[in-house]
Amino acid sequence: MNNFTYEELELGHTESFSVTITQEMQDSFRAMTGDVNPLHSSEEFAKAKGYDGVVVFGMLTSSLYSTLAGVYLPGEKSLVHSCEAKFMKPVYIGDTLTVEGKVDEKNDTYGLIRIKAVIRNQNGVKVSKASLQVGLI
Amino acid sequence: MTREEIFEEVTEIFRDVFDDDELEIVDSTNAEDIEDWDSLEHINLVINMEKKFGLKFNLKEVGELKNVGEMVDLILRMKTNE
Repeated sequence: MNNFTYEELELGHTESFSVTITQEMQDSFRAMTGDVNPLHSSEEFAKAKGYDGVVVFGMLTSSLYSTLAGVYLPGEKSLVHSCEAKFMKPVYIGDTLTVEGKVDEKNDTYGLIRIKAVIRNQNGVKVSKASLQVGLI
Repeated sequence: MTREEIFEEVTEIFRDVFDDDELEIVDSTNAEDIEDWDSLEHINLVINMEKKFGLKFNLKEVGELKNVGEMVDLILRMKTNE
């Protein structure tokens, strides 16, 4: 786990990591949230709606922004204030996602950073983007 | 900038942060008057004011402000002393 201080982080500092979305993740997310919408569980339903297969929960994909801040940027000192995320393209079970975050702003008064983040799949397609405000505790 | 001009800009920042185009503020407005004005939104207000007016506040000074009017007066003092 990274442990950057506010002073160590410069504008443009970038961190990234990759994760492969598994069926187990999808099932765990459904169990936690109670979102039983068939788009996220029924192959037949998803294909009838024009998707290639069961669609991964957008909020599951977005939960990787928590990992980005809490483990990588800044890591241990992270306290996420806000996260504005967009789900741009569908994510499917088995996709390998690369999450990348860059320090876009620093605020000296409060010692917090704004991170511009993107998530791309194994084909380089941007599936999500977000803006996070993160304090350093 | 005049105090009126600063107040107008501050009003726009409040409307933007609280996502309410009809929000009206006065000098005495404080966190008790706006339901969504919590500690995180307070940070957003201060950050947006720093950006808008090109200022860097002192955290202690900002923490002692009691209402919008005092914030406007602080900005006016800092802009006047630039």
